[in-house]
Amino acid sequence: MAAFEYRQAQEIRDVFCRHGVSYLFIGKSGAILLGYPDTTQDADLFVERTEANCEALYRALVELGFVLTAAQAAEVRQGKDFIQLKNGPFDLDLVFAPDGIERFADAWRRRVEVEGFPVCHIDDIIASKEAANRKKDRESLPRLRSFREYWMKTHGDTRRLL
Amino acid sequence: MSSEPSDIPSEWWDEFEAAASRPLEMRMRYAFIYTYKPVLDDAPFRAFDSMEEYRTWCEANLPDWLGYGRV
Repeated sequence: MAAFEYRQAQEIRDVFCRHGVSYLFIGKSGAILLGYPDTTQDADLFVERTEANCEALYRALVELGFVLTAAQAAEVRQGKDFIQLKNGPFDLDLVFAPDGIERFADAWRRRVEVEGFPVCHIDDIIASKEAANRKKDRESLPRLRSFREYWMKTHGDTRRLL
Repeated sequence: MSSEPSDIPSEWWDEFEAAASRPLEMRMRYAFIYTYKPVLDDAPFRAFDSMEEYRTWCEANLPDWLGYGRV
C-alpha cells in the first residue's frame, strides 16, 4: 500500500460531496490538514451516523474503489462504531463514535474548512486523543497542544469545546 | 510572521511556522508515510461495535510497541 496522497484526499472530498456524505477529517490526519507538522499513515474520518448518511457513505466508498463484501457493506451501512478499510485504493479509518466527542453535530458546528476539506476543530482532535488515552496519544499530546496554541494565535480563533 | 509565545518550545514554533508556509499538497506529501504495522495491516477489513471493543482488541492483539494500548 502506497502512502495516502493529496489527490486521494481530494477524491474523498469530491466523491463524498457528490454523494452528500456528512463527515469530518479527525485524528492526526485532521491535524495535518490544519497545518500540524507530523507523520501518519492513513486518513481518519468521523462520519455522521444516520441511515441516509451511511447509505451515501457506502455508495461513495464503492465509487472510490473500495471492494466490500455484502457483509462488510452491511456493517458500513449500519455505521459500526469503528471500521478499518484496507480493501481499496488507500487505507481509511471510519469512526462513527470517536472517544471524547459527544455528537457529530457539535463537532460539525466547530469544524474548520481547509481547501474544501471539512476538518474537526483542533480542540476536538485533542479531546478525542485525550479520551482515547493510548500510549501513542500520550506521546503526541504535548506537541499537539502546543500546535493548538500556535493555531489559535495565528488564526485568531478563540473557540473552545463547550 | 507571528510573535513567538514563551510557552511553545522554540523549535516547535519554528516547525509550525515552516509548515504554515508550505502549501497543503506539500504538507501532505511530507506527512503521509506508509509504514507496515504488524497485525493491524494484515486484514483488509475490520469493524467493531464499539470503541471499547476496538481498544480492547488492540490491546489483546497488537504488539505493545505500536502504542495502541491504553495508559
